[in-house]
Amino acid sequence: MTAFRYSRTVYLAGALVLVGAVATGCGGGKSGSGGSDKTTGVTITVALATEPPPQASIDAFTKSTGITVKWTNTDWDSLQTKIAAAATAKTYFADATDVDWSRVGQLGKLNWFYPMENYLDTKALAAEMPQLTSFSSNGHVVGIPYDASFLVTTVNKKLFTKAGISTMPTTIDEYTADLKQIKSKNVAQYPLNIPFAAAEGLSTYWYQTTAAFGGTILDGSGKPQFATPDSPGYRAAQWMVDAIKQGLVPPGNINVADSQGQQTLMAKGVVASTFADYSGNVGSLYSVPASSTVVDQVAYLSTPGVGGAGPNMSNPDGIGIPRQAKYPAAAAKFIDWFTNAQNQADFAGASGPDKVMPGYFLPSRLAGMTELTEKGKLIGGQQLADLLKNSAKPVFPQGAPSWYPEFSKSVYTSLHAAATGSMSVDDAIKAMAGTANKLSS
Amino acid sequence: MTVGTHSGRRHDVPPTGTAGPGRAGPRGRRFDLLPYALVTPLALFILALALVPAGVTIVQSFFRVDELDPPTRFNGLANFRDLFADGAIRSSLVNTGLYVVIGVLLSTVLGIVMAVTLQRPFRGRSILIAVLILPWALPGVVEGLVWTGIWDANIGLLNSVLTSTHLISHYQVFLGQHRFLTILAIELVQVWQMTPLSTLLILASLQNIPSELYEAAVLDGCTPWQALRRITLPLARPGIAIAMVQAVIATLNVFDQPYVLNGSADTGASLTMQTYFISFQNLDFGEGYALSLLITVATLILSLGVVKLVYRQVEF
Amino acid sequence: MPRRRPWVRTLGILFIVLWSLVPLYWTLNTSLQTDAQISAKPAHYLPPSPTLSNYHALLSGAGEIPDTIRRSSINIVVECTAATIVTVVLATLAAYAFARMRFRGRNLLFYAVLATMAFPAYTTLIPLYRIMSLFGLVNTYTGIVLVYVSGFLPLATWILHSYMTSLPIAIEEAGQVDGASRMQILWRIVLPLAWPGIVSTAIITFLFAWAQFLFPLVLSSDLSTQPLTVAIAALQGRHTVPFGLLNAAGVLALAVPAVIAVALNRFIVNGLLSGSVK
Repeated sequence: MTAFRYSRTVYLAGALVLVGAVATGCGGGKSGSGGSDKTTGVTITVALATEPPPQASIDAFTKSTGITVKWTNTDWDSLQTKIAAAATAKTYFADATDVDWSRVGQLGKLNWFYPMENYLDTKALAAEMPQLTSFSSNGHVVGIPYDASFLVTTVNKKLFTKAGISTMPTTIDEYTADLKQIKSKNVAQYPLNIPFAAAEGLSTYWYQTTAAFGGTILDGSGKPQFATPDSPGYRAAQWMVDAIKQGLVPPGNINVADSQGQQTLMAKGVVASTFADYSGNVGSLYSVPASSTVVDQVAYLSTPGVGGAGPNMSNPDGIGIPRQAKYPAAAAKFIDWFTNAQNQADFAGASGPDKVMPGYFLPSRLAGMTELTEKGKLIGGQQLADLLKNSAKPVFPQGAPSWYPEFSKSVYTSLHAAATGSMSVDDAIKAMAGTANKLSS
Repeated sequence: MTVGTHSGRRHDVPPTGTAGPGRAGPRGRRFDLLPYALVTPLALFILALALVPAGVTIVQSFFRVDELDPPTRFNGLANFRDLFADGAIRSSLVNTGLYVVIGVLLSTVLGIVMAVTLQRPFRGRSILIAVLILPWALPGVVEGLVWTGIWDANIGLLNSVLTSTHLISHYQVFLGQHRFLTILAIELVQVWQMTPLSTLLILASLQNIPSELYEAAVLDGCTPWQALRRITLPLARPGIAIAMVQAVIATLNVFDQPYVLNGSADTGASLTMQTYFISFQNLDFGEGYALSLLITVATLILSLGVVKLVYRQVEF
Repeated sequence: MPRRRPWVRTLGILFIVLWSLVPLYWTLNTSLQTDAQISAKPAHYLPPSPTLSNYHALLSGAGEIPDTIRRSSINIVVECTAATIVTVVLATLAAYAFARMRFRGRNLLFYAVLATMAFPAYTTLIPLYRIMSLFGLVNTYTGIVLVYVSGFLPLATWILHSYMTSLPIAIEEAGQVDGASRMQILWRIVLPLAWPGIVSTAIITFLFAWAQFLFPLVLSSDLSTQPLTVAIAALQGRHTVPFGLLNAAGVLALAVPAVIAVALNRFIVNGLLSGSVK
């Protein structure tokens, strides 16, 4: 029975290799050791879900610091996968990368990023950047917000006027009535854009609608605040689902994602309004003749709330330094430069089109915002600045929970199912609340 | 499970165990190093990059491997219990079941139709085979893009054709609205990709059917339909079985098509998509491993079942 | 055999042609239109004013999207070619040993190799990523090629093994009588006889490598290694890329496998049938 003996040896060898692999794969609990403090003559990789600033600006940075920047533009979803994959395997993939507001809790708990307070004076920054609070977790600053994106209602004034609406709505009831009027007067067959594709953008839309109805999503301990039918979150979900059922939203939107709807519906004048649009879209999308047929027709609107203007949920984009970065100190220098007031104002257009960073929203620093509005370079700038100062609020005042991605998936799949009619709004809310209760306990 | 397509003697070493030159001979007693040298690179690759990862998956599916809940520790069957308690998983299980049933049935039926079309030689047959295998050769992600252009609710070909021919009055939403329709539309994309291989496998079986059988059938006054049912289909069983097995494996593991066409919506999410979400979004790798293991076991069981049910060794 | 009515077969032929070509035609048709033409209702079944502007923008334009397409096209060619060469060489050697030699552990190894084909690829993604990162191979051509090779070796070995066992053994035995060593027999007798099988294996491996998505998505972190398929999915994921441009990129990614499939279909058919699993 030599064959038998032989095969046993093979199994044994296999088992040994296997155990070794498991041990090496999971034993390495070390975090952030290999980074170099060098800040000159190095090349850093910056991976973000956006196009880079103009080459001339980056060259100027390289000239003054000796740090060469390699920019990688990856779509948002793939980037989150890469961050998770690289951090799990404890591998390098970039020196500075995306820290989304919604991932702060998860990333903070996982300790995947260097605390930014080690590199920058974050206390001083906090006074300058109202949204920095959304980037703290367990007492550490995980990333620095590089823009001040928040959600805001946009309306196509031309279509509203065409339907005989002269004063813009200030409450959600007026807003709904106006949309119905636009539909009944046949100005737009489907006046409202809600991106009902099962994706992050649908969750975001619901957070903003919930805020407009006067409520919050989770309390401080992560318990759902939207479970009862009279709660704002419940009513917001009902309002969104009713909107598609009543024909206010294009039926095809069941498979339309956020930016897709903004580009193919709002920018083409197919719909008259997006309730939870992104700040900056009027300037960077709707007023750009190359991508829009509604130039100068779209304006921002204070959130139509229950009894007047409601809050705007902030969803800033941040940048941080992963633990596996090769040159964390150089990356910190880059972040400092990338988020300084002058650059932010330039990226948003304060010094002419040559310095604009494509798709950039709004400066995260108040000083950058002020410079931008004073120069009058920002479309709707004063209004946005006021909104940012007075009504922009984080979705989760205590910071996004570490289990946010799983919760958000439950939110967008359930709302999507309710919109298709395969689930009632009540069941969708039950599923979402159930997920939050399970994860927070 | 091979289909012989080449002429000449077959010397299937495993499992029959005949051997050619180099066997025993005068040097038989000495330890023969050459075969080991030849297979070592292959063995290393398979061990390091297939068996070890597979082993990790099996072992760690019984562990709690959660980046948000360290350290890694043994937790028995808890990962499996969590899976069955998860509504999204149950819904994906139903979806995947539908993918398998629709995919296996459609690709087999279409494969038979196409194989029978190609059974007898005719002018241009080789060109037709070239056309036939095109969809098989293309990347799944790009196929998703290709079919988006057909199913799309605003600019899709299907909507345009159906409205032009007045079968529908206005553009419809095919993807994401009705669960069954969504799954059918997604699976049709996969069927489009799988059917060429099914056809070839069934065709290979058809080529082995002796033409005397058909000649005898003509003498007996058989109609073409009767010949198809009494001769072609029974004798094509080995090919049909293999075609169905490859369809079972492909449909049970469907990922690219629902992911590209329907995102992560529950209407179309498959089980393999859930392993991806559980692992890379929730970072609960243990549970991801457990689900992978279950899919593998299901694949093996279903494949064996199909073979048992359909496969018959046909002797002439 | 009983004569079917000719129109039955004509119907079948028509069905095969439409089934295979209509979706591809539609992509081509879309890629030759402007975005305004694409959104027409009903759709233009022929491009009203065929334009290559989408291709021009992709291939010769300046900017981030053309850069991505050009670089990722180079990447996919390098990765697929390297993976194909390594796979075919290793599989040929191993298949020869399996087909013509007797050694301890042969059946065990052979079935272990085949068994890996039944394991869903996505299952091994995470451990594989960990192994690759352990050796610093993430985001390198080497890492991606190694993963491809490990994935395609079983099928390649299986196809070549089936092919070699089907070759008549007498010639090799004659060679042995003439005193040729076994490697000489492999080189001078088996390889020339088995070349159609080797070509089949190479083509099928190349096509499989070309179709990869999830593995390179995770294993490549930037444009230095990202293949075209991943680049296209990323463009599609952004929702900001015009549909015509996206379809032009799709046509580019389809062109190479489509030409191979049509031109070399005989080899593919033979290879698939001796492998009989995808």
